[in-house]
Amino acid sequence: MLEARAFEPDFLRRLDGLVLGVQRSRTVREGRRMLGRVQGLGIEPESFKEYTEGDDLRFLDWNAFARLDDLTIRTFRAEREIEVSILVDASASMGLPREDDKLGFALALAASLAYVAMASNDAVRLGAFTAAHGGTPRLETSALHRRRESYPAFRTFVGTVRASGATQMAEAMGRLLLMRRPAGTVMLISDFLVSASDYEQALRSLLRARHEVKVIHVLGDRESNGTYPPGHYRVRDSETGELCEVTLGATAAETCRRRAEQLSADLAAFCAANGIVYARAFGASHFDDIVMREFPRLGVMR
Amino acid sequence: MGLLNPRNLAYLASLAVLVAIYLRARAKPTLEVSSLMLFDEIAAPVASSRVLRTDLMFWLEMAALGALSMALAGLYIRSQTPAAHHQARALIFDLGAGMGAREASGTRLDEARRQALEIVAAAKPGDNFSVIGYALEATVRRAPTSHLADVRQAIGELKSAALPARAVAMRAALMRARGTAEIDLFADRAPASDLLNSAGAGTHVRVHQVGEPAANLAIVALEPGTVGASPGRVVVRNFSDRPQLCEVALDLDGHNLLSTTIVLEPRGQTVLPFGPLKQGGLVQARIVTDDALAADNSRWAFAANDKPDTALVMSPSPEARDDLARVLLAVNQSLIVTAIDPVKFDLAKAPRYRIAVLNDADDPGINAAARLIIYPPPWLERTAPPSWQLPVTGTVAVAEMQERADGEQLSQPLALSPARILSLPAWMDVLAHGTGAGSGGSFPLAGFGYDSRGAMGMIAFSVNDHMLLDPDKLEALVLTVEMVKRLLAPQDLQVVSTGGSVSVPAVGVARIVAPDRSVSEARADEMGRVRVRPIEAGRYEISSAGAKAVIYANYYDAGESDLSAVPPAAASSAKATPETAAAMAGRAATQVKPIAMWLVALALVAMLVESALLTRKAMRWRVRDV
Repeated sequence: MLEARAFEPDFLRRLDGLVLGVQRSRTVREGRRMLGRVQGLGIEPESFKEYTEGDDLRFLDWNAFARLDDLTIRTFRAEREIEVSILVDASASMGLPREDDKLGFALALAASLAYVAMASNDAVRLGAFTAAHGGTPRLETSALHRRRESYPAFRTFVGTVRASGATQMAEAMGRLLLMRRPAGTVMLISDFLVSASDYEQALRSLLRARHEVKVIHVLGDRESNGTYPPGHYRVRDSETGELCEVTLGATAAETCRRRAEQLSADLAAFCAANGIVYARAFGASHFDDIVMREFPRLGVMR
Repeated sequence: MGLLNPRNLAYLASLAVLVAIYLRARAKPTLEVSSLMLFDEIAAPVASSRVLRTDLMFWLEMAALGALSMALAGLYIRSQTPAAHHQARALIFDLGAGMGAREASGTRLDEARRQALEIVAAAKPGDNFSVIGYALEATVRRAPTSHLADVRQAIGELKSAALPARAVAMRAALMRARGTAEIDLFADRAPASDLLNSAGAGTHVRVHQVGEPAANLAIVALEPGTVGASPGRVVVRNFSDRPQLCEVALDLDGHNLLSTTIVLEPRGQTVLPFGPLKQGGLVQARIVTDDALAADNSRWAFAANDKPDTALVMSPSPEARDDLARVLLAVNQSLIVTAIDPVKFDLAKAPRYRIAVLNDADDPGINAAARLIIYPPPWLERTAPPSWQLPVTGTVAVAEMQERADGEQLSQPLALSPARILSLPAWMDVLAHGTGAGSGGSFPLAGFGYDSRGAMGMIAFSVNDHMLLDPDKLEALVLTVEMVKRLLAPQDLQVVSTGGSVSVPAVGVARIVAPDRSVSEARADEMGRVRVRPIEAGRYEISSAGAKAVIYANYYDAGESDLSAVPPAAASSAKATPETAAAMAGRAATQVKPIAMWLVALALVAMLVESALLTRKAMRWRVRDV
């Protein structure tokens, strides 16, 4: 299984130089100050401003007041701890085609991203979501880990994830939001072989909760290229059980490839419109290239 | 195109098995995919409406199985191989009597010769020709050579013989020409096509049928009768479809006895009686009227003198004695026959006989000019046999006559009575062969020759139980009569049929003058004889050391003498003109080429292509089972 690759020492050494591409600091904007009076708790000064009533006196610059007799408030850049949630689609569609090992590929990407995120001592959790056949969505997450010494703990979680059930992405994201965790970074790894409305609803709900969202679109080599064995088949949808008859061959392969490209383009367009980082990871055979080159290029890592 | 083993076409049933396999494979496998979203734009399968779903693999397998089946069935093609330089060709000539038939511009053989010379003239440099002739048997007149002058000379030296052209001889000639690129067969009658196909072994045989239908008269038989007792007769036959006027002359020792003109019905024959002759001698019957074929216009027979001669018939069986006496009297009515039981025979009182016939009896040393030994008893081992005794090496319970002296195979073997197996001395000619149960192969049934005591004949089978009078065993009677006639004929005058071998007493080198006045020489063998095989009808004269013998050769063959056969149109169109001969020389020859190897190669290629496609498919679609 490919997920084991994410725990190989050689591979991890290559990840040591990378950091997660997240928006780590946020200026506390004036207009929002009234809402939560959130002041940056960092040590890096950002600017000075005149004291107004209601400002936290702890940030009054007493030295300036002594010299200039002016009440000046020193503001700092917020140095936040990022909570990174990496969620993997564990529906039945992720288990097919078996030759592609799509779920293993997704778990390997998730673990790699977790390892990179732990470089900054961010709190990282892995999660897997699916839905039982009865329709009940299920989201299983690991514990939060901050230090790389605890990275091997993810191996246990990764090893328990199996592809089954249907994809109910919006419901699964709703479960995540119910945890009422502070806004952080949510990385969603899925084949997105669901209706557009489902993933759009899911992503919008994350954005509304002020999460920084990154989408990693995973497809296998075979299904992205349509390279199924030629012949006449009765094909069955792994999640819905729906059947249809097709004749596979070169023409069908081209149609499949076009269809995958179209789904990818639709998703990318939605992400671009909503400020979501979209990264395409098609083909487990390109795992190293995707992690080492594509993710840094797309801003998932730096 | 054809099949060598059509029965093996049954292997084509494998194609039905292949179709059944593909029909069975029509059940569609189910493929589980991640989502149908990726397939919703794929068109509905067209193949779902078909009965049999075929693809390239199917046709490759079909081709392989079909090719192998056709290879097993022995598919062959007739290919046109362009005539190349150094092409080997054979010129085969019918040299039977019919080829000597006269026509307006010469004989039929002359016409064949002319056509052959045109083919030779049109030959390309380096072409080889062999010249083969056949009548009773096939002989190579010129081995393959590219020296066209030699070929022309060999063609020019061809002569027709007074012999029938036998089918087996033509088959032998065709077989000798095997391996040549083309065979030109010149004959006056079209051979059977199956004979050409079987003997030609795939080589293209071009038949040149020469000769136009012609009227012919022939003397079928001449029976001189018995001098002073019974009349003789001449049988004349008309082979024409029209009535023919025929003038027949009869000579006795060169003096004309009779000349008469008769009208012969179309395809009819007439018996012309004469005599009885007043004296014996050589009788010749002639057709004076000019006709197409001269060889069958004369016939000779020897009439024995009416001088009373004594004959002895000695046999322990009274029936056999009676039968043999009848045969002797039938051949020569002037004989005074003494029939006696061996135990009652007194050698001391016996006179000199003209002929002595001993059936199942030892020869005590009878004084006779000619002896016929029939079914000789084996000599007792306790005493040494006399020098004239024929050594008996065995006895068979039932003998079968297979072949007569003239070389003709009997239409079916003639079952005879018990027979002795004898070891004939070298001076005897075998006149008949036979086989028998318990004997190792063939052994002589009849023989004839001359020793120091005179003429001697041998018949190995028993003539007891009136076998000579059995109508189902007429061959035995004919053989016996012929033997008696030979024994009674003078040694220096023999009347034989053409094609047979004749022994003539001679000393040193014998000079042989043929009917056409050509002279040849032959050396006498250690038995003091030369063997002559007359192939022309007429008088042969053999002289050596002052001695002279004469052989008169008669020729008649019903099939060969019939010159009225109309050549088929196809054959007549095959006549070679200078232009067509030139074209033929460079024309392609048809050859039968089995293509089994090509078919097997095709099957292998189909299977290799299929394997390559499967491998490519496996690599492309990354699947283990394809």
